[in-house]
Amino acid sequence: MKDLRVERDVQTETNKIEARGVQVFYGTNHAIKDVDVDILDKTVTAFIGPSGCGKSTFLRCLNRMNDTVASARVEGKILLENEDIYDARVDPVQLRAKVGMVFQKPNPFPKSIYDNVAYGPRIHGLTRNKSELDEIVEKSLRRAALWNEVKDRLHAGGTGLSGGQQQRLCIARAIATSPEVLLMDEPCSALDPIATAQVEELIDELRTDYSVVIVTHSMQQAARVSQRTAFFHLGNLVEYGETGQIFTNPKDPRTESYISGRIG
Amino acid sequence: MSDASINPSDLPQKSESLLVPSKLMRRRNAAETRYKAYGIAAIVISLATLGIMLITIFSDGISAFSQATLRFPVTMDAATLDPKGNRDIAEMTKVTTVGYKKVLEKSLIAELVLRQVAVDGVSEKDIGAFISGDAPARLRDMVLADPSLIGQTIDFSAFATGRIDGYFKGRVTMETAKLDSNISPEQLQLADKMQEAGILDVRFNTKFFTNPDASDTRPESAGLGVAIIGTLYMMALVVVLSLPLGVAAAIYLEEFAPQNRFTDLIEVNISNLAAVPSIVFGILGLAIFINFGGLPQSSSMVGALVLTLMALPTIIIATRASLRAVPPSIRTAALGIGASKVQMVFHHVLPLAMPGILTGTILSLASSLGETGPLLLIGMQAFVVNYPSGPLAGGVMEPATALPVQVYAWAARSDPAFIERASGAIIVLLAFLLVMNIVAIILRRRFERRW
Amino acid sequence: MSVFMLLVVIAVLALVGFVIGRQRALASAAGNIKEMHSLPLYYGWHGALMVIVPSLFALTFWLVIQPLVIERQLVGYFPPEVVESSAARTLAMADVRRVAEGLDIAIAQGAMTEVQADMVRTEFGSVRDRLADVGVALGAEVTPQILTAAQDYRKYAVVGNIGRSILTFLVALAGLIYAIRITNKDFRARNRVEQVIMALLSLSSTVAILTTVGIVLSLVGESLRFFTMYPWQDFFFSLTWSPNFQGGSDLGLAPLLWGTIYISFVSIIVAAPIGLFSAIYLAEYASPRVRSVVKPAIEVIAGIPTVVFGLFALVTLGPILRDWIAEPTGWGNSGSSVMTAGLVIGILNIPFVSSLADDVINAVPQAMRDGSYGIGATKSETIRLVILPAALPGIVGGMLLALSRAIGETMIVTMGAGAAAKLDLNPFEAMTTITVKIVSQLTGDTEFDSPETLVAFALGMTLFVLTLGLNVVALYIVRKYREQYE
Repeated sequence: MKDLRVERDVQTETNKIEARGVQVFYGTNHAIKDVDVDILDKTVTAFIGPSGCGKSTFLRCLNRMNDTVASARVEGKILLENEDIYDARVDPVQLRAKVGMVFQKPNPFPKSIYDNVAYGPRIHGLTRNKSELDEIVEKSLRRAALWNEVKDRLHAGGTGLSGGQQQRLCIARAIATSPEVLLMDEPCSALDPIATAQVEELIDELRTDYSVVIVTHSMQQAARVSQRTAFFHLGNLVEYGETGQIFTNPKDPRTESYISGRIG
Repeated sequence: MSDASINPSDLPQKSESLLVPSKLMRRRNAAETRYKAYGIAAIVISLATLGIMLITIFSDGISAFSQATLRFPVTMDAATLDPKGNRDIAEMTKVTTVGYKKVLEKSLIAELVLRQVAVDGVSEKDIGAFISGDAPARLRDMVLADPSLIGQTIDFSAFATGRIDGYFKGRVTMETAKLDSNISPEQLQLADKMQEAGILDVRFNTKFFTNPDASDTRPESAGLGVAIIGTLYMMALVVVLSLPLGVAAAIYLEEFAPQNRFTDLIEVNISNLAAVPSIVFGILGLAIFINFGGLPQSSSMVGALVLTLMALPTIIIATRASLRAVPPSIRTAALGIGASKVQMVFHHVLPLAMPGILTGTILSLASSLGETGPLLLIGMQAFVVNYPSGPLAGGVMEPATALPVQVYAWAARSDPAFIERASGAIIVLLAFLLVMNIVAIILRRRFERRW
Repeated sequence: MSVFMLLVVIAVLALVGFVIGRQRALASAAGNIKEMHSLPLYYGWHGALMVIVPSLFALTFWLVIQPLVIERQLVGYFPPEVVESSAARTLAMADVRRVAEGLDIAIAQGAMTEVQADMVRTEFGSVRDRLADVGVALGAEVTPQILTAAQDYRKYAVVGNIGRSILTFLVALAGLIYAIRITNKDFRARNRVEQVIMALLSLSSTVAILTTVGIVLSLVGESLRFFTMYPWQDFFFSLTWSPNFQGGSDLGLAPLLWGTIYISFVSIIVAAPIGLFSAIYLAEYASPRVRSVVKPAIEVIAGIPTVVFGLFALVTLGPILRDWIAEPTGWGNSGSSVMTAGLVIGILNIPFVSSLADDVINAVPQAMRDGSYGIGATKSETIRLVILPAALPGIVGGMLLALSRAIGETMIVTMGAGAAAKLDLNPFEAMTTITVKIVSQLTGDTEFDSPETLVAFALGMTLFVLTLGLNVVALYIVRKYREQYE
């Protein structure tokens, strides 16, 4: 499969998210240990590592999805454009409109395709009237490369689409609220290879507007879509840098073991 | 959600600070709080109603366990009770309760005189009206059982009538007494003096648990004796009938039944029977067991049969659930060492499922304990004053009544004293239920197994 | 020999069968268990089962058949019009049995001798009085036919009871002998015992079908008899209900059905929002601690007998509604009303709705919630816009089940709704329901040959069809809903 990275330049070096000394506890289990990381704007950042290494947990800290788990406790600072998202004044609901999320398994609501995409704009009050909403829905579906496939059946159920289409619908749903960051938790793990390729291509396109953070268990995928890669192991951030450097010239022996398939 | 309700100024501006909630966000959070409040309100309403209901029942009913009682020496006047003076039982049975009532009345008045209680214009007849209608009958039974009592003076205690009793419990007041033809304020004043003099006191009423029902005019002596016996008979029969039958049916359906239309038919029947209104089971009992089968009306046997049919679906469903909860590894292990399927079920699966089965049975028994409608149709609301015989002497075939039915029967009577009795009966009924549920919980806690 | 004694005899023979079966098998293998096909215990059980099962079947068979045979013998004593009508025949037979029992009691108490009991004639004085002396109350004076029939009944019963004892004993004995003869070390006792157990198990499972058959037969049979006495058009379409035991009744279903539906409607208005919102709170907002306390507390409501709710309606809620709402507004002056009964049934149904709603809400996958939270929806928006629409079919099914329970509820309406059958819209009027009328037509002194009594069976039939229909629809919807997420 071709390397998508060469087609677009890395546009920016400005930091979108800065995480400092992040610790996560599930009850007594110390899931994330003192992680510092900077996520760049308009860049795809991949989190890789063996299962249970904490990469998904850390991802879920970035839009405070861990708040919905009663036993989870987060310490440290995560700054989104220099504002601490764990500040007491921050409403996680408002945060999540800025930091959208796409999940491992496609989870469209049991509503029509249109209503799925319109859900976010409606609750966040992004539109004044129906035509504006129509516009957002169309734009989002186009952005998610789904418009041509569904434009004739916008009011059919979202659950009737194929797996890859469902996942792209979920991406459209997430970008309809015009977020600044998109978090993707193994977005292709439930898809077949062709659908995976489509979604990967889409992720690369999204980089022009958003900062994308993707968790993946596939190193090939990380190599294909991301510009920066972070390797997690046992709750620690072992190594973080340019994707090419991580895969060709890892500094830490643990990264090398993982890349070469000795641990995982 | 309507889009029109959103003002342009509410629209979130790009890159606005997260630290300042937008106007819309404030509105959304208010909606959130409201929604949560609805939930709390719903819970508070349900629990408050439950609380109010239980509190009213208890405050109405707790007084049923105490009773205003008169205690005074009774002189067994030989001239009235045994006019011929030869202590011949056959002769003495001719003296009716009216004669005994006179004896009691005279003795009470004599006691008042002795204790220097001023009667203040209350007539002798009205003083006699203090004594419950069941006291003369009890005295008569005592004398007929032991004629030597005649001529003696014995200590006797008799219930005060429902109105006097009600006065000490706050149900009857001076104001209501003025309007009541059965009682006068003067009588109530006298009652106060009698209490001071120690002739009358309010004490714990064991007779409430043992006496049979009593007629409309003497609520004070109505008790739950027959109802408790009837309920115990029925519960025992329901266990004996429904447990083996229900468990056998459940074992068959869960472990052995082939997948075919007949099995499906049984399954559909069980799930539908669980939802058939209870009154329909009463019609079934009336038509099949009484009219067709010729079993006696009002008997605990018919009641138990009806309740058994009602309890079976629940027991079968509960048993199947606990059989299913036994992990397959136990089954394969048993089969693997050469047990037959029947041996596997009876030696391994059933003992492990037993706590669950018993819990389910107790809970379904608890719900049959409270059933009323179907028992009305098979005649158990009847006025029964004779205790049924012992269980081996055919007592289950004799007329009886049941606790919930007794509640209904008393609630339907006009004298408010019976509302107190009905609430008291509910307290007894709830106590039974509480015990059963506690047993079920203990069983579950003690034997609960995590696989 | 009484049935109880017979059971004792069977038990003793079964014990004998157990011991002999076991020992014979052991003896034939010379005490070497390894030579036997099954464990010794199974030979014992085989012996016992061969005694118990056939003899109990014989006994049950006899107990069912004997009254039918005797009735056929006695039919000759009854006048033709009694023989014609099955209801009258049932009543006459009940009289006969009652008199016969009375004679038995009289003999047992020594008030009569056997011979006297056979010789008693109505011409020589009131049999009713003589029986009343021994504590047997009869509704009416005994006719000569009934008395002769009763005397014959006693004779047949004696013969029948002897026959019963002999048959049961012989069957038990035959089973014992068969078991003893067949038992040796090569006999496959375990397989045989397991076959018998399987047969008994599958027989028990048919009890559910038998119950349904019993319900349907008793409802259909008596309803058909009702419709031979009273035109079905009037029952279903007449708008008045005024039964009159002297005849000339109007037995129209409409006012009862209206009362039933109105009260059930009020109850759903109460139970649906309260039940639903408490379920939402418990499922989505409450902490595990709160949930573990509140959920069982709400379920306590479901465990309280309905007669308690009935008393609450009668004594507390009814008067409150009357004194505080109905009378000040001039809407009515009755404590029993549609409102009283509807509110109380609604309260009764709260835990039912709440636990069903809890189930369906929990069946909505977590992924749906994550999807909604992930793009910044609040909890209430997620519940309102995602979870409830997804759970809607299940919730509708649950409401239908609650409606069906409200329609079939008896005690609360009997004590709280009133007895007046009317077609009215005012919820503070007393109205009545199908179940109330079933109770009132079938309690007290009833004669099973008048339309006023038999109408209860037609009402029961209506109720059964109504609730069954609702249940089938509701269960279908709920099942479809569950399949969606499995």
